[in-house]
Amino acid sequence: MAAFTYAPAIVLLPFVSFLVALFAGDRMPKGGALAGITATGGSLLLSIWVALTVAGGAVHNEILYQWTTSVETLQLNFGLLLDPLSALMLLIVCLISFLVHIFSLGYMNDEGETGLPRYYGGLGLFTASMLGFVVANNLLMAFMFFELVGLCSYLLIGFWFRQDGPPSAAKKAFLVTRFGDYFFLIGVVGIFATFGTGLFAPITQGGEVVAESFPMLAEHAIVDGEVEGIAMLETVGMGPQAWFTVLGLLVLGGVVGKSAQFPLHTWLPDAMEGPTPVSALIHAATMVAAGVYLVARMYGFYALSPTALAVIALIGGFTALFAATMGLVKQEIKQVLAYSTISQYGYMMLALGSGGYVAAVFHLTTHAVFKALLFLGAGSVIIAMHHNENMWDMGGLKDRMPVTYWTFLAGSLALAGIVPFAGFWSKDEVLYEALIHGFGTEGGLGTVYLAAYAMGLLAVFFTGFYTFRMVYLTFHGDARSDTARDPEPVRWNVKGPLTVLGILATTIGFINMAPVAKLTGAHIDFLHTWLSGPEEGGWPELLSTDLHHYEELLHEVPHVDPAYPLGGEITTLLASAAVSLGLALAGVLVARSLYAGADPVEHTDKLGGLKTLLMHNYYQDEYQVWLATGVTYPLARVMNKFDQGVVDGVVNGISSVSLFGGSRIRRIQSGVVSNYATLLTLGLVLLLAAFGIMGGWF
Amino acid sequence: MWVAALLLVTLLGTGLVFLSPDRYAGKLAAAVSAVPALGSIYMYWVYLTQYGGTGNALLSPADIAFGQQIPWITLGELEVSYYVGLDGISMPLLALTTVLTTLAIVSAWTPIDERQSQFYGLMLFMEVSLIGVFSALDFFLWFVFWEGVLIPMYLLIGVWGGPRRKYAAIKFFVYTNVASLIMFAGLFALVFSTDLTSLSLPAMAEAFRTASGLPTIAGVNLMTISFILMFFGFAVKVPVFPLHTWLPDAHVEAPTPVSVMLAGVLLKMGTYALLRFNFTMLADTARQLAVPLAIIGVVSVIYGAMLALAQRDLKRIVAYSSISSMGYVILGLVAFTPYGMGGATFQMIAHGLISGLMFMAVGVIYNTTHTRMVGDMSGLADRMPWTVGIFVAAAFGYMGLPLMAGFAGEYFIFQGSFNAPTLGGAAPVLTSLAMFGIVIVAGYLLWAMQRTLFGGFNLETDYEVSPAAFHDVAPLAVLLLLVIALGVAPDLSFAMIQDSISPVLEIGGGA
Repeated sequence: MAAFTYAPAIVLLPFVSFLVALFAGDRMPKGGALAGITATGGSLLLSIWVALTVAGGAVHNEILYQWTTSVETLQLNFGLLLDPLSALMLLIVCLISFLVHIFSLGYMNDEGETGLPRYYGGLGLFTASMLGFVVANNLLMAFMFFELVGLCSYLLIGFWFRQDGPPSAAKKAFLVTRFGDYFFLIGVVGIFATFGTGLFAPITQGGEVVAESFPMLAEHAIVDGEVEGIAMLETVGMGPQAWFTVLGLLVLGGVVGKSAQFPLHTWLPDAMEGPTPVSALIHAATMVAAGVYLVARMYGFYALSPTALAVIALIGGFTALFAATMGLVKQEIKQVLAYSTISQYGYMMLALGSGGYVAAVFHLTTHAVFKALLFLGAGSVIIAMHHNENMWDMGGLKDRMPVTYWTFLAGSLALAGIVPFAGFWSKDEVLYEALIHGFGTEGGLGTVYLAAYAMGLLAVFFTGFYTFRMVYLTFHGDARSDTARDPEPVRWNVKGPLTVLGILATTIGFINMAPVAKLTGAHIDFLHTWLSGPEEGGWPELLSTDLHHYEELLHEVPHVDPAYPLGGEITTLLASAAVSLGLALAGVLVARSLYAGADPVEHTDKLGGLKTLLMHNYYQDEYQVWLATGVTYPLARVMNKFDQGVVDGVVNGISSVSLFGGSRIRRIQSGVVSNYATLLTLGLVLLLAAFGIMGGWF
Repeated sequence: MWVAALLLVTLLGTGLVFLSPDRYAGKLAAAVSAVPALGSIYMYWVYLTQYGGTGNALLSPADIAFGQQIPWITLGELEVSYYVGLDGISMPLLALTTVLTTLAIVSAWTPIDERQSQFYGLMLFMEVSLIGVFSALDFFLWFVFWEGVLIPMYLLIGVWGGPRRKYAAIKFFVYTNVASLIMFAGLFALVFSTDLTSLSLPAMAEAFRTASGLPTIAGVNLMTISFILMFFGFAVKVPVFPLHTWLPDAHVEAPTPVSVMLAGVLLKMGTYALLRFNFTMLADTARQLAVPLAIIGVVSVIYGAMLALAQRDLKRIVAYSSISSMGYVILGLVAFTPYGMGGATFQMIAHGLISGLMFMAVGVIYNTTHTRMVGDMSGLADRMPWTVGIFVAAAFGYMGLPLMAGFAGEYFIFQGSFNAPTLGGAAPVLTSLAMFGIVIVAGYLLWAMQRTLFGGFNLETDYEVSPAAFHDVAPLAVLLLLVIALGVAPDLSFAMIQDSISPVLEIGGGA
């Protein structure tokens, strides 16, 4: 397939733009922006080509570059896996990156920022790393690019390094995600040690499997009981099910860190110190999605472990609710969006944990669009407000920046989950899947699903509320500051990306209107079809990364099955949609009644002690900072004292003993010949005596 | 012939530089050291393309590359010869030594402003000894070079060092000398208990491997006792906990180019000797003692990293983190797996390049600001952007960023030790514990960078800060490129390392 031959260029083009922008950006117009726009545009076109080829039924899973070949039993490679999931993700990443590059012309160049080569270099390196992660065909390669996007995130959060905030936030972001990646790395090493491969999908040649994937090996071990060739089990003394669960949970550590799930979510709100286009690209649409994408990528492995699924669903449901409550009281527009991002990724985790593979990928897609839109919209507002992000200084921007307002509104309706905007369809499907699997799955797992569902459902109300609190405070009512009365105008390079994303946020939900499909019987749930492939043969047979395969596994191993508590499927579907839509609308209406007036006031004081708790984010930051500076650092100081005092003390002690001894013995060296003669004689006598005693002369 | 040529040229160059006027000494030394550097790069290339699949120099002497043996003297029953040669383990270390020496010499141009001819002469003399250490295949010859490294190092710290240089130099000298003595005792106990007729390393390997009926002392086999004595002797050089306290003092007092050599090459002498003597000649014993040795490695990793967290002096931070990084090498060696042992050897090269890079970067900052204390400066990125850019890249390399050499080394070691047969059920636990080092290293390096490089510009000293000179930054850039090249294509070294490691894994499998 020609498209697959050129696929590596999707990754390489942005990498070239990184080099060009960094080393020649100074001498180029727009500080390297044009290189980035060209590269991501090219990648986007190539991704479309790849997606069209995949739509034609072709897939690709090949080793591209051998990283190490010298150990024959375990070779480590870089390879491309192009299937419907990665093709979709390529489109998302390339599109958002392309639009963000254009938007940056308005946000960075027009605002007269310095250090643009560094900025565009960072964007290019990030895009390349992210795309490398997306196409990775094995876990080690995925881990490597996972780390590299972390580096880019660090560099771009800390872009304004002359201030104090950004470098600190960058450090925190890298450190917290590194903590998660520690577990991920153990998982990677463990999976390679256990299965001898990290492939996500089998590599086939002419219908023959030449290299098996680790999810398939795990499946054979658990479903068919074939544990031959599976190492490590004896070493750790566990059965395959238990050990694979441990491995899955270890990898999940990286997922929780990168996708900002509880308890490693604390870095994301701080990451808002970075330039807003960076927040849109990295901290909303793509890098944060890497964790969720990874779970989807190796879903065949997670589907084998009920415990891992339960943990994923529970983390997801809890994070969705937990983060939404913190978003209720924030005053800065980007902070609201940050907590909303954490919350929305919680929904995706909830979906993955509760067997809603399509729902998760769907929400990943819609969220990437509408959250990038909201961040860029916020960026437009921030330009207008001369970089004041406090919503209480805004108000009334609706009439002064209509393009921003209407697109932002589309994004907000999508985020709140109002029909027919994108977020409604995907969030509804997430909740629906959790609900029916909660009722259909027996035992503790079903209960966990229902609990997670309840949390996710409650979060819908809060989402509607904080979203429209933000909309009303920013755009409605009277202007509450001089800048808001006379905002700085924005240009085409801001309005263009907003318009594209605004249209998408309104319409992209139509790719998978599952409820409508079920009601009418029309086959319009395209994403569903996209991810499940043909019924017989085709790519699912080659890769086993299709929906049907996952559904079979879910049914067979953890016994995740659907059940319809309210009569039939249709009634349950409609009731579920009605409940979530009703809650979302209720949230919007409460926000309207509290904040829609000409001169809204803060109502947060009514929350009493709860307000303090929410404002301090449940003291999550405090305890993590305490762990670092209150526990680890003092411990290091104590160890340093120990090292200086005891370990080195012993060394110095020995040396002072010998120095002291030396200084005493030195007195013998008096230089007086008669003394030497005495000593010599004395020594001879002693030696003779000693020999005599030993030799038995006496 | 090639090795002899390297040694002779460098030795002649040493004399030349000693005699040259101070003004030209730096440039002349750089030119002289470029000869062995280019020579060893050529040898490396020849080795890479023509010697594919050669074995281990100690275990299959027929496969030795660039070998040369000339009978020398006879000590009693023992024959001593001038015997040199290379294999896939020593070849990369030799290249590391010569390249790093040249770069260190260039990086000395700015900070070294007195007695230049002697300084550069000693640097070159040290290079001669180091080339000898990594290429000698006769114990006597090897030991001469091994001790020969100490003299220039002692003087370089003691004469050109910081305020406490005398203390640091003497501590270094006494520490490593006592260690050599203990190692020597351990080794010669074995030499005299076996019927060796030659002191060549391959002969020793053969004799120790097949030795039987060794005496026991207090119920412990002499082999085990010798192993422990030799391990102790070499471990001081590495260094491992608790034998490490000479290292931070030596680093802090040493001038930067000397620190580069100390961290980049001298520490590798310890792990190289461990690999050659303890883990090749006494492989059986090493397998038996794998778990306690691995624990020493893991403790070094965590202990070194935690201590680095408590430091304020940038050099001390890098010094303690070297202890941490070298702990990984111990863990990899005891694994006795292709990735473990190969990774350990690769990590020697990777850490040599990265720690050299880090020390040089700290040095460039110190040359300009005249302080190394975190808290005495901030916002340097504003004044010296390229230096800071490379510093950040180097720090991430140190943190094990993928596609840089450090990640490859550490990943190989983890992969190799996670299911190491020698460690049994403890393997995954010990490996996971060691891996936590990658979190702590990120902690202290990110903290130090945030405080010194970023934020508003501020400096406690009165020096003018301007971008560093080209010849200060160029060595950094070269090292960074090497680090990236090895990270992207580890097989550039890892393949030849594997060729020479696999014979070690094949012997004495009965643990």
